[in-house]
Amino acid sequence: MADSGSPDSEPTTRTLLRRVLDTADPSTPRRPRSARAGAQRALLETPSSRRLSSQTKTTARRRSQRIRSIGKLAHVQASGYLEEQTPRTLLKNILLTAPESSIVMPKSVVKPGPAPQVVQPSSRESSRGSLELQLPELEPPTTLAPGLLAPGRRKQRLRLSVFQEGMDKGLPLSQESRGNADASSLTSSLNLTFATPLQPQSVQRPGLARRPPTRRAVDVGAFLQDLRDTSLALAPPDTVLEDTQPFSQPLVGRSPSVHHSLPCPSHSGAEDAERAVSHRTRSTGPRLQNNSPGKPAQLLAGKAEERTEKSLSMSKVKEAARARGSARAQEPEGHTQVTEAEGSQGAIETKEPEGSSGDCPTSSRRVSPELASSTPEFLQAKRIQGLEPAPPPSTAVLPSEPLEPLSARLPPRARTPGPKACQNPYKTGLSHYAKLFSFYAKMPMEKKALEMVEKCLDKYFQHLCDDLEMFAAHAGRKTVRPEDLELLMRRQGLVTDQVSLHVLVERHLPLEYRQLLIPCAFSGNSVFPAQ
Amino acid sequence: MEEDDGAEEQQRFSYRQRLKAAVHYTVGCLCEEVALDKEIQFSKQAIAAISEVTFRQCENFAKDLEMFARHAKRSTINTEDVKLLARRSNSLLKYITEKNEEIAQFNLERKAKKKKKSEDENKNSTEQAEAGVVESEN
Repeated sequence: MADSGSPDSEPTTRTLLRRVLDTADPSTPRRPRSARAGAQRALLETPSSRRLSSQTKTTARRRSQRIRSIGKLAHVQASGYLEEQTPRTLLKNILLTAPESSIVMPKSVVKPGPAPQVVQPSSRESSRGSLELQLPELEPPTTLAPGLLAPGRRKQRLRLSVFQEGMDKGLPLSQESRGNADASSLTSSLNLTFATPLQPQSVQRPGLARRPPTRRAVDVGAFLQDLRDTSLALAPPDTVLEDTQPFSQPLVGRSPSVHHSLPCPSHSGAEDAERAVSHRTRSTGPRLQNNSPGKPAQLLAGKAEERTEKSLSMSKVKEAARARGSARAQEPEGHTQVTEAEGSQGAIETKEPEGSSGDCPTSSRRVSPELASSTPEFLQAKRIQGLEPAPPPSTAVLPSEPLEPLSARLPPRARTPGPKACQNPYKTGLSHYAKLFSFYAKMPMEKKALEMVEKCLDKYFQHLCDDLEMFAAHAGRKTVRPEDLELLMRRQGLVTDQVSLHVLVERHLPLEYRQLLIPCAFSGNSVFPAQ
Repeated sequence: MEEDDGAEEQQRFSYRQRLKAAVHYTVGCLCEEVALDKEIQFSKQAIAAISEVTFRQCENFAKDLEMFARHAKRSTINTEDVKLLARRSNSLLKYITEKNEEIAQFNLERKAKKKKKSEDENKNSTEQAEAGVVESEN
């Protein structure tokens, strides 16, 4: 034990610590007597530490530790005891005691023994400590070290040299040299520590070293190729929802073709991608055929881009829709927020019970168009940058537009885009919602009934869009803004005095939209998004 | 305090009741007219239902009007707000627009009259003043 006075029998970190633990009370400085007793032993073990610490900056730390200790008597002892307990203090002591072989005489060569081992636990600290403690004394370490070191001299020397060589070469060391060599290098070669304080750490535990995450760049070209191949090959497929239906409508079937091809590339955005794609296929208009290759690229490029693009694309789509004079283009923005959120969460099912059937279809539809529009419209967005960026929610309104491009994209393969393109924008979106409706009806529906549903939805959306337009005009504006949407939702009863718009946004929309919709002030009073 | 609040509530409630009664009476009168016109009878429950619905719709209208006015960043409800409120029903919208124009015209005429009046008065006053001055001079 410590009383043996020869703690140097095995001056390894482990033994040192064990000794400390054995002799001293493990946790509390509240037992001054026992701590004292233990401290005495500990003192014996590391007389040098105290001496050193008294002289060096570590005194400050010890004092702080002293403050912890309760008993006065235990102060000195406890301090030493406390010191030893923490790896930091241990390392410090070791650093202080351990000599630098390069600087000190042969005596000091022995010192690296315990030092490196103890240093191992927290090489960082040691490195720091080494930096700190370099200046103070070289002498005390030399005098004290011999007491600590003994047998492992040669071994350590060898390891040290090996380690130093490795360090010089910049190679990671083998495990052997790791333990002792690190500490020894730290202590012995001050120069090294100066130069590369953190290297030993990494060398010590190469497994723990932080490696930059390897990110494989998405191969857009390959993806596009896959997309084209699969979309060409696929017959009118079924969406996830379609699978459950005994009867499928041919008009809407195109979406899954792209849908299936997409899942592989986009993992994170898989959900969005699928949804977007599925809807996109339906909504691709003639002008977006060019953009379709861009779509997958966009999906993969990153969600962040999507979001920003969406905001732009929404506005673009909206403008484009207006340009086309399609009233449908102005999707009811009122629903966008609520429904978008829900749809984007993929909780299409949950939406149904929440709102009327008209709401749900609009919501899911809106979500998809929004997502879809982002990518299809991305290329357009760049061109149309000059347009007023209507806020994302209002711009998200564009559903029929984005729906068009997708559907128009696929038809060209099978049919002529001409007459269909005109009808499709109006029909494809509604048919999608009608399908949803029939799905949730859980019973077969007649075609006429579905047509009636489509008609109702059509009128409903028209009304909403007209309302939005009137609201904007009422406020003397030409652009629909979130305030108009909020007014609309208030009239619908979705936004009440108890439930505000922000609450709905938080409840239903994904985080990215929420960031865009709910302005929050960061430090420095910079509000995002800038109004 | 609490008693006052209770009394106030009672007051409000009774006020509401009176309003409801007034609406009910008016609805009854209108229904009678329609009954005479179309030769159809209205049951009491129907009239009561209609009056209840009317009352609630009035509340909604008031809230909507306030929202519209606030949306246009105004603190006063305008005819524009009313027109926005009535946009759903075409005939009603037309009617309201016509009335609005009538009122606007009337206001203009009134303003013109007032202007004339004030001008005449001014002239008279100035003439009198001049006359007075002249007289005084003389």
